Amino acid sequence: MQLLDIRNLTLELETPDGIVRAVDRVNLTLREGEIRGLVGESGSGKSLIAKAIMGVLHQRWRISADRFSWCGEDLLRLPYQRQREIISRDIAMIYQEPSRSMDPTAPIGEQLAESIPDHRLEGVSWWQKGFFRRKRAINLLHKVGIRDHQAVLHSYPYQLSEGVCQKISIAMAIAKDPKLLIADEPTTALESTTQAQLFRLLASFNQLKGTSILLISHELETVAKNTDTVSVLYCGQLVEAGETAELLKNPRHPYTDALIRSVPEFQPDLGFKQQLYALHGSIPTLQHLPIGCRLGPRCPNARRECVKTPQLERQQNHFYSCHFPIHRGGTNE
Amino acid sequence: MSDLIEVRNLGKTYRKATGLFKHKEIRALQGVSFTLQAGETLAVVGETGSGKSTLAKLLVGIEQPDQGEILYAGNQINCSEYRKTNQFIRYIFQDAARSLNPNQKIAEILHAVLRYSTVLSAEQREQKISQTLRLLGLLNEHANYYPHMFSGGQLQRVALARALILDPKVLILDEALTALDPSLRAQIVNLLLDLQQKTGIAYLLITNQLRLVRHFADQTMVLHQGEVLEYGPTAQVFQQPKHDFSRKLIGSAQY
Repeated sequence: MQLLDIRNLTLELETPDGIVRAVDRVNLTLREGEIRGLVGESGSGKSLIAKAIMGVLHQRWRISADRFSWCGEDLLRLPYQRQREIISRDIAMIYQEPSRSMDPTAPIGEQLAESIPDHRLEGVSWWQKGFFRRKRAINLLHKVGIRDHQAVLHSYPYQLSEGVCQKISIAMAIAKDPKLLIADEPTTALESTTQAQLFRLLASFNQLKGTSILLISHELETVAKNTDTVSVLYCGQLVEAGETAELLKNPRHPYTDALIRSVPEFQPDLGFKQQLYALHGSIPTLQHLPIGCRLGPRCPNARRECVKTPQLERQQNHFYSCHFPIHRGGTNE
Repeated sequence: MSDLIEVRNLGKTYRKATGLFKHKEIRALQGVSFTLQAGETLAVVGETGSGKSTLAKLLVGIEQPDQGEILYAGNQINCSEYRKTNQFIRYIFQDAARSLNPNQKIAEILHAVLRYSTVLSAEQREQKISQTLRLLGLLNEHANYYPHMFSGGQLQRVALARALILDPKVLILDEALTALDPSLRAQIVNLLLDLQQKTGIAYLLITNQLRLVRHFADQTMVLHQGEVLEYGPTAQVFQQPKHDFSRKLIGSAQY
């Protein structure tokens, strides 16, 4: 079943220099039980999209979309109160820096107990609620792989390592059994051993409970290993989307191609200390976005037509928006 | 001696007061020895608290070692003599944006480095600056920019310029490539590889990204709680890790 279906999501911000369009007509769909990756560089709008789904964007942002449906209900057209109800029931998010997104003045136990929704404790008499809340909090910690719950429950966020904090924020997120878990760069601050642990944890929730996961990352290699489908963003435009394996094997957009070729891991025949493939130039700032295809100035095969924004084209389950997509042989149309 | 840097049995202990008279000793690093030749890259990997950054700080002289010695090209040099050592060995911080003074133009930042460590005249300094900027793919006009006017990848280049302007023999990169976006990272990696070929500079790469280590480093050292677990050619370390910990670390990167 289609869980999330977003069509032409546009996020605009009014600034003194005019309107900045940070996210430009992005499509995103998520089926139940799917793990989708969202890849893009800093400033490509991936976190904005996540916040738009959560409904926590600042009110200065103008959100518009042709369709923004969650389980068949269009969230943008619902009254605010109802929208909050649905989101808080079904969607949970893990933020980028776990130790900074927690309350520094309260011990973990309190914060965790607070995140357990009331309807989980229905049928419990009021004098027993505190006890059950606590029991459930300990249970959650065990679920995310923290064995020493006693020490953790009484510590403050600053006393714990980043990896443990990240696990706790996952515990908070799954406290309400969400249908969708948004993980916004969950592993940037972590070491590679802890990273592997976390991805195993996320994968196990996906398999046991059927939770869909939207995994946001700027590293293609971590996304490649842990997702079923992937969407690639560049400067707020969706450049390519499709099944992960197919997309990695057969990228159609020059940007995806460059991303894949810049990672030594995907290039088995790359010699030791050989030059990596890199696009020249750097990411444009939001105030100076090029018109049309935003990759234009950096694209190796840009032509005159690229000043027009390309339409999203579809080939089976593979979407790409480029006038001159790459074919397997490396030749252009 | 052909070794550019030789480190013998380096150790560092921090003392932490736990009471009025009591203190606890934390061994940040012990018994670390390695050699680094010109044109080579040594990667140091390990988890947080394994002493990676302590090692870097000892080498550049931010901290004093408690035991062991550091030899540059066969001579022992006291690390606190910055004026002598900083021409040899330079350090790049993790976050370029935060390690550059926002009040100074790039030219001023670079002039200050040269004024401190060389005897060049103002004219020669100008020349050196424009030469260095060009080497790193920046333009002469960039000298009059302030740090906030650059993008992330360019800032990393400026940080590199500040490090390379003294023509060092060794460059220490402390997680300098971690925070960059993938396409910029590829650019900087290319730049570093290019420089190594041209000038024979040696790198000490401190990082968590094992994929990069594999591509980049000649030698790899695995640190764990201040001790060296593995040290050898990269291919060998990756194929036959000896210790459980390094096996776990390397296994985690391959999934």
